[in-house]
Amino acid sequence: MTETRKPVGMELHHAIVSHYSAEVRMLQNQQYREWFDTVIAEDIHYWMPVYEQRYARDRRPDPTPGDAAIYNDDYAELQQRVDRLLTGQVWMEDPPSRIRYFVTNVEAFEIAPFEFEVFSNVLVHRNRRQNEVYVHTLGREDKLRKTDSGFKVFSRKLNIDARVVQDKNLYFFV
Amino acid sequence: MNGSSALVDNIGASQSRRVFWDQDVYQLELERIFSRCWLMIGHDSLVPKPGDFITTYMAEDRVILSRQPDGSLKAFINSCTHRGNQICHADSGSAKAFVCNYHGWVFGQDGSLVDVPMEERCYHSDLDKSKLGLAPIRVETYKGFIFGCHDPEAPSLEDYLGDFCWYLDTIWDGPDGGLELLGPPLKSTLACNWKVPAENFVGDGYHVGWTHAAALQMIGGELAGLSGNRADMPFDDLGLQFTMRHGHGFGLIDNAATAIHVKRDGYVKYLEETRGGIREKFGPERERLYVGHWNTSIFPNCSFLYGTNTFKIWHPRGPHEIEVWTYTMVPKNADTETKRSIQREAIRSFGTAGTLESDDGENMSSATYNNNGIITRKGWMNSSMGKDREGPHPVYPGIVGVSFIGETSYRGFYRFWQEMLDAPDWAAIRANDDTWDAMWTNRNFWPDRLSAKQAEPQD
Ligand code: FES
Ligand SMILES: [Fe+2]
Repeated sequence: MTETRKPVGMELHHAIVSHYSAEVRMLQNQQYREWFDTVIAEDIHYWMPVYEQRYARDRRPDPTPGDAAIYNDDYAELQQRVDRLLTGQVWMEDPPSRIRYFVTNVEAFEIAPFEFEVFSNVLVHRNRRQNEVYVHTLGREDKLRKTDSGFKVFSRKLNIDARVVQDKNLYFFV
Repeated sequence: MNGSSALVDNIGASQSRRVFWDQDVYQLELERIFSRCWLMIGHDSLVPKPGDFITTYMAEDRVILSRQPDGSLKAFINSCTHRGNQICHADSGSAKAFVCNYHGWVFGQDGSLVDVPMEERCYHSDLDKSKLGLAPIRVETYKGFIFGCHDPEAPSLEDYLGDFCWYLDTIWDGPDGGLELLGPPLKSTLACNWKVPAENFVGDGYHVGWTHAAALQMIGGELAGLSGNRADMPFDDLGLQFTMRHGHGFGLIDNAATAIHVKRDGYVKYLEETRGGIREKFGPERERLYVGHWNTSIFPNCSFLYGTNTFKIWHPRGPHEIEVWTYTMVPKNADTETKRSIQREAIRSFGTAGTLESDDGENMSSATYNNNGIITRKGWMNSSMGKDREGPHPVYPGIVGVSFIGETSYRGFYRFWQEMLDAPDWAAIRANDDTWDAMWTNRNFWPDRLSAKQAEPQD
């Protein structure tokens, strides 16, 4: 894709990358409530669509939010996922998994005053129980809003690089 | 392995742990169950038009399901008859022909070999193309659900579903046109034996309150009281459990069809508006089923939750792994908005990142992998719950257990599993048609219970 838009300047770019680092630190420390309250905007659409494996000649359109999707959450729905993790009754997270995130290839563009479209690559490494290891890579397309209390994401599209997910579930936040 | 009595004890209601682990048991399952039973391969709604196809699996065999120009269906093995290459690598699509990537042999929509590159120069009229079509599979449908079978001696699909049709009609035929499946399927791998999720869906009402304690607490609604097993509920009056001749079965939670859905106004309205039609068409006993929640397995490896409306195929990948495919069932005649919201809620709870699904996968994996220990594997598992509180029922076909929290349909599932492993052919299975339920000896359980109920003063 040829990008005619100009990326944001160095200072903004740095602020966005720092924001992502802080976000990841909260997730890695299981501070889900803090994560949700700090980075999620109330008009969030948190979406992980399902891309079928199709022939190149296939003219059917890409998935929309009306189609099957692994995540398709609004604010309240995402909040419920956080609440579930904090009930103390999610046995599979007790003892907790170890999760590590690597966010790279950050590209940010201004799309409106104080609003940015940001592309990034995310690698997630999960280690569970004694020997379970899962590695996922995802392409992430964010829309961020710069507010008085920092950046808030109001649209997050996650493209997981797998037709068959190589994990028992994807119940973690990216 | 010599016979399967070493694996399943019907009277003692237990199974050897080897059923989840041993390679030779798995091989026998492939030969005697997956090669002889009807396996779920699709739905009319997934291949609506001539030329439409999907690729799927029957156990580990790759399969193409293809809609013919005359509207009929054909299924064949997705492997070239020349040197064995996989013919089609797309999940779905529309195709006039399937061309093999290796040497370019061309197969028609019906699986026949229609063209061979440079045929004259290479084969000199020596190739009998009519004998080189893709290996065909028996295909039959029931109310739009498409099944495939490799065994010409197997009964018809309708006979294979058998008594279960009486139940399935309630929802698969429904008030006015039944169900369709929404894809594309979510797909994920899970390190477990295929029978762990199959048995869980066929009859595990017991785990709901404990395994899913967190999710039920979060969702609220009718089942919140089960969360953490805290509420003191009279389970006997909350539902039933059923098992059939061919191992199919389900658990019913009364009046809880949509309990797992958070946003459910459209679906609740749809059920309310249509339940009268069900009562008229099928009677009050099945109206009860229509507004209840079902956890169901169709033997061997297809499961669904009616009400939640998630629909699963557990494709085996060796004894210790499966590929999970998740579709959503929706009423064909509901409006688009309602269908979409059902799909969202079904996936939110039982998709790859589902609020309940993620609890289950963990157990299924753990219940399988613990058996890698040789001493552990010598042990047996218990499925005795409700053993003497079940039997034939004057209204409901099959064997009926008194509560949805029971293991009636576990016992029925493994009873048939053992029968399939032991039987040399379908004739031997048919020979048991009149005696299959002999292990349920409490024949008067339901007549006694129902007349005792009737004798109670009505208020
Ligand atoms: S293997 Fe398919 S054409 Fe040769
Ligand atoms: Fe479950």
